[in-house]
Amino acid sequence: MSITENKSTKTQNLLEVKDLKMHFPVKGGFFRRTIGNVKAVDGVTFDIKKGETLGLVGESGCGKSTTGRSILRLLNPSAGSVIFDDQDITNVNGKKLRDIRKDIQMVFQDPYASLNPMQMVGNIVSEPIKNYYKNKKEEEMKEEVMELLNKVGLPEDAYYKYAHEFSGGQRQRIGIARALALRPKLIIADEPVSALDVSVQSQVLNLLNELQDEFDLTYLFIAHDLSVVKHMSDRIGVMYLGNVVEVADKHSIYKDPLHPYTQALISAVPDASNFGQKRERIVLQGDVPSPENPPSGCPFHTRCPKAMDKCSSIKPQLKEVKPGQHVACILYD
Amino acid sequence: MEVVHNKDTQTQSPTTKPSKSLSPWAMARRKFMRNKLAMISLVYLIILSILSFLAPFITTADVTLVNIGQMSLAPSAEHWFGTDTSGRDVFTRLLYGGRVSLFVGLSCTTIILFIGTLVGSIAGYFGGTVDNLLMRFTDFMLNFPFLVFVIVLNAILFGIVSGLWVLIGVLSILGWGGVARLVRSKILAEKENEYILAAISIGCKPSKVIMKHLLPNVLTTVIVQATILFAGMIVAESGLSYLGFGVPQEVPSWGNMLSASQQPNVLQNMPWVWVPPALILIMTILSINFIGEGIKEALNPKSFR
Repeated sequence: MSITENKSTKTQNLLEVKDLKMHFPVKGGFFRRTIGNVKAVDGVTFDIKKGETLGLVGESGCGKSTTGRSILRLLNPSAGSVIFDDQDITNVNGKKLRDIRKDIQMVFQDPYASLNPMQMVGNIVSEPIKNYYKNKKEEEMKEEVMELLNKVGLPEDAYYKYAHEFSGGQRQRIGIARALALRPKLIIADEPVSALDVSVQSQVLNLLNELQDEFDLTYLFIAHDLSVVKHMSDRIGVMYLGNVVEVADKHSIYKDPLHPYTQALISAVPDASNFGQKRERIVLQGDVPSPENPPSGCPFHTRCPKAMDKCSSIKPQLKEVKPGQHVACILYD
Repeated sequence: MEVVHNKDTQTQSPTTKPSKSLSPWAMARRKFMRNKLAMISLVYLIILSILSFLAPFITTADVTLVNIGQMSLAPSAEHWFGTDTSGRDVFTRLLYGGRVSLFVGLSCTTIILFIGTLVGSIAGYFGGTVDNLLMRFTDFMLNFPFLVFVIVLNAILFGIVSGLWVLIGVLSILGWGGVARLVRSKILAEKENEYILAAISIGCKPSKVIMKHLLPNVLTTVIVQATILFAGMIVAESGLSYLGFGVPQEVPSWGNMLSASQQPNVLQNMPWVWVPPALILIMTILSINFIGEGIKEALNPKSFR
């Protein structure tokens, strides 16, 4: 059965994440025993089709970045599987892992920390090429890097400069050029614009959009800014406390959110079009529970305005409620 | 008028010279050059090294030759700094002594830095069990009773290996613990930066991540530590030689020369025997420390000179 399933999805899904878990052990006591787990990611499931952008939203600490890093295997997931291009990459190591990283690249959140201060920009961008194509001629490589710098909108003399000479937006462009250098199939963008000014944000977002068309890229776009995600994504996954609670295309999410958490999230987005009118605003009570000791059953039941008794005992699974709209909530069972 | 002129030069400058930016190292070098004290110290150290290195060409006297006919002579035109109780020329011994002291200091520092950086970076980067094993071993080495070890090793290896090499070996083997700890802590802090994650994700092997990304960024600390080590090793050599456990008696070193002052007669009546090595030793240590301070300042992005 699984074989036929694979075949049918072959042309569609570039990345499939199934029940991914990333638990960080908490050590304590005199002998540093493991006394608990921080369940940063606790059973995340989604897939990304070739050429589309999946936005991943959620508040701070809900496991978005950890999910991204586990896919690239910068962290080793505790359980679950990651299938990239019909290949299970959850447990590959060594040379195979390096080969896969050629196809998945990452744009990082902090443009000030993600570039080595001791390297020239030219070296930063050419390094991935040097790592994978050892025999490439120096001149060819330089030409390629110049072209990349051009593509991301940097002047050619940036090649000989150091990262500290650039502004945040320009630094993020350098990071994008580095991620593009290997012509990857998938780019994981981990809050690429959250550290930038609003005016610069839109430039970088437009750049990402242009590059997607030009290089046939697929994005996993992680962010906490709903308007940014709406602008970028085809489909949106909403995360809460290490779980994906709803995945749907962006119009459904914005027009007709089904999960109570998504509804609360969407209602919090300021809307300029109906300025002056009273909006219905769902205000959640309480704080996000600690991921070290998540609530039983549905992770959201402690704050959910529609919670029922059975919510604390049954953990809902993602189910297709409407075509293309998957929700993990008992209300729709 | 001037403003227009300024504008002109500004637009022309990129075309006239390739606008290659200063690397962080080049900027540090500039800052260092502007630090007078550090530059004077550097010049002093270079001159001292050249003099010591060229000792055989500068003085013709035989350093080890004991001349009973010229014992305990005061400074004169023939013997600039006089002679010691065995009739050896103090100036000649000073130059040759510099050779030994600087050589011991330099080679110990090099070996210590190599071992310390290697152990520290591996422990810091890989963490976990590797870190635990390496750091417990480092603790073990740090807790070794230094003086006892030196004396015992000297006794065992006496006559088998040249005394100079025994000293270098012992000082190095017992000295790398501090550097290893320092490098480890720096690497631990540095590897949390996203550019290290980026380096891994663009396919760098662990060895490359350490060599190209981590070490250049912790090198500043290591260099400053190196100067302190260099001074410390020279002092250690002198101290051990003074006690008689350092380089063999017949080999001239500043410490050996100072040990002559253990005799009350020399200490009271023949200052020319022990004052020159003491002065040179102090000045050398001071200048090395000034250089270290200068490097530290130059590498600190927050300091402006």
